Amino acid sequence: MHWLSKKRYLVGMTLPSLLVYTVYIILPIGIAVYYSLTKYSGIGKPTFVGFLNYARMLEDKVFWTSLKNTMIMFVLAFALLLTLSFLLALLLNSRLKFADLSKSLIFSPAIIAPIIVGIIWVYILDPNIGVINNLLDAIGASALKQKWIGGEVLSPYSIAVIYFWQQLGYLTTIFIAGLKMIPEDVLEAATIDGTTFPQKVRFVILPMMKTTISTVAVLIITGVFKIFEIVQQTTGGGPNHLSETLVTYSYAQTFDSGNYGYGMSLATFTSLLSLLITAIYSLLTRNKED
Amino acid sequence: MTKKQTRLILYPVMILITLVVVFPFLWMLMLSFKSSGEILSDPLAFPTSLNLENFANALNTLNFPQLYANTFLICAASLIFELAITFLSSFALARLEFPVPKVRTLIYSFLILGLSVSPFILLFPVYKINVFFGLRGKLALVLPYVATSISFNTLLLVGYLKALPPEIDEAAIIDGCNVWDLMLRVTLPMAKPVIATIVIFNVLYIWNEFPFASVMLRDAADYTLSMGTSFFKGTYTVDYGGIVATSVMIIIPELIFYGIFQKNIVDGMTAGAVKG
Repeated sequence: MHWLSKKRYLVGMTLPSLLVYTVYIILPIGIAVYYSLTKYSGIGKPTFVGFLNYARMLEDKVFWTSLKNTMIMFVLAFALLLTLSFLLALLLNSRLKFADLSKSLIFSPAIIAPIIVGIIWVYILDPNIGVINNLLDAIGASALKQKWIGGEVLSPYSIAVIYFWQQLGYLTTIFIAGLKMIPEDVLEAATIDGTTFPQKVRFVILPMMKTTISTVAVLIITGVFKIFEIVQQTTGGGPNHLSETLVTYSYAQTFDSGNYGYGMSLATFTSLLSLLITAIYSLLTRNKED
Repeated sequence: MTKKQTRLILYPVMILITLVVVFPFLWMLMLSFKSSGEILSDPLAFPTSLNLENFANALNTLNFPQLYANTFLICAASLIFELAITFLSSFALARLEFPVPKVRTLIYSFLILGLSVSPFILLFPVYKINVFFGLRGKLALVLPYVATSISFNTLLLVGYLKALPPEIDEAAIIDGCNVWDLMLRVTLPMAKPVIATIVIFNVLYIWNEFPFASVMLRDAADYTLSMGTSFFKGTYTVDYGGIVATSVMIIIPELIFYGIFQKNIVDGMTAGAVKG
């Protein structure tokens, strides 16, 4: 066993991963934070401006719009996904025939390119050529027609629904994996004791699924703050930046307007906000468990 | 309510949900046979004939063989590189003895940390780093893809390799294996299932990846599949039929890929979540 702990091997084997990881993941975070404290248009050298970019955010209307839109998407997607993917997992775990086939089909939106997800939904939600408005016309309910995307109000809600469609099967599968880890005899004991199904869910299944629920919750929180392609394809952030999210606005500022410093301060803020909400969620649920 | 009655309610619910989820796919497939004019003037009408004009149009506008070839090249280069380095480091973390056990935990936690880093904070800095190293075109995507896979690969590989019984190593060492024999001839063959999951998962990731590709690729000759659809958005006109046909030609192979490797894909996507 002489060589099992030789430093030469340990260092040599872990070094390549550590090196690539540090240069392309850790260092870039530092660079992003650095640029967020500068004014930089891509030409010449960045000038250090302290927290000026962050102060500018407070007075930037589009920033507040994107923050609002991101929070609408987050609240709606969180509420829909957490509850409905759990219920769907209960349904698909109940040994119905064809439940596996149904699970595979419902999972499929999660594996296709997010950019195509956006494209597909344009043909459903577009006010002129989309299915929904044309169906409403066809059944004589034209009064209910809305600008689901590209209008002034509904875009973030619609994007949350698209995200829901994309993630539903994936999160349901994670819940099913959690359900399968509950020991059979616990569930049988509950059945013999004469509990109804809702009671079983409330007092047996939910308490035993705590870890899975937090996993799914964290996946939704971090996931919402990565929605990008769907917005790009459906609205492009428009009209007039009204449907911009924090991610698309930071991308637009950085790569379209060339305001690299401001773009990076938006990106840094977005990452911090996502971390903060995850932390708040963990704190809230930890207290409940005590 | 009896069990039978419950099932009578649950079946329609299950079928309805499945149909609602699948509908957008079917709708797009249906639209791909209609001309842009028909999509605009009468979106709900079924195509009157199997009009393949959109597909012909897409194939003329886009160099599909090149898009697939570019994606495949970037994929192959990234996978060979990332598997080599993450298998090495995961082998050390899972199977070798660290003089100070805390160092192992520290390195492992450090490498896993990346799972919570959003790619959007990395885009511009990584672009700058690529410029610094003189990496351009397709090459500019390889290292970012390798780097973003390290956390996930480490999570899966270390988890899998740790679960292999230690007696195997002991027997191999008694038989006179050195560290490289042990790693490549004994451990590597046993890790095949998890490597398959990693390969399939990362192929899908690179196939779908858009943010990095959109920032790093300037020349249309380097474009990957997910960039393909952008060709159809002109400044004043949108070729709806062309976009739909392109999308269909990108996702049909993807859905077939999913059909074949479903188990690995689902395993990979849920393992990252459940174990993390």
